[in-house]
Amino acid sequence: MDPDAVAKAFVEHYYSTFDANRAGLANLYQEGSMLTFEGQKIQGSQNIVAKLTSLPFQQCKHNITTVDCQHSGSGGMLVFVSGNLQLAGEQHALKFSQMFHLMPTPQGSFYVLNDIFRLNYA
Amino acid sequence: MDPDAVAKAFVDHYYSTFDANRAGLGNLYQEGSMLTFEGQKIQGSQSIVAKLTSLPFQQCKHNITTVDCQPSGAGGVLVFVSGTLQLSGEQHALKFSQMFHLMPTPQGSFYVLNDIFRLNYA
Repeated sequence: MDPDAVAKAFVEHYYSTFDANRAGLANLYQEGSMLTFEGQKIQGSQNIVAKLTSLPFQQCKHNITTVDCQHSGSGGMLVFVSGNLQLAGEQHALKFSQMFHLMPTPQGSFYVLNDIFRLNYA
Repeated sequence: MDPDAVAKAFVDHYYSTFDANRAGLGNLYQEGSMLTFEGQKIQGSQSIVAKLTSLPFQQCKHNITTVDCQPSGAGGVLVFVSGTLQLSGEQHALKFSQMFHLMPTPQGSFYVLNDIFRLNYA
């Protein structure tokens, strides 16, 4: 497993799904998954998707600037992303950083065990 | 183990050591530790400390804005930090984000298995 290839594929899939249909992110999380979104802690796929689909904007577009990844031990992978987030109707894009800890599934795919998102204010 | 307490203690120790004497970071890393510094991949405590002590500034001061943490599974703690970095002699502070994956040591402490650092450009 080439971590860079896994990270690249995951990042493309995650953000294109987020931008097209946030509800579609559900199968990337499991019951033990954790999201910390701007300091708010949420656990479990249902609650995480409820949080993401309730964010106060209709449309958004993530533009990814950097992707770094490393093996986390025990088969997992850490992915560290920075970029900007354009909300429909807003003049200026927001900057963000996000980290994911991906764990392998028995089917040979990955799910998100840990997810931490922060906006980077000017 | 309370991840928030571990994260807070680690962040305080890491950045105060970095700002006072970067060579002192050596015992926070082990042979299998990985650092990705602005996209450059480095492995092992010796190589990591060599990189950090060779950064082109004498003095610096990290000011931490946010610290988020989650248990990573298998006893580890993920720590996600954002803040600013003031280099002596420079007029404007740099913004940065950094993530650490801390693993427990047999002595009841933690070491850094994974470390990813990125500047956040305006």
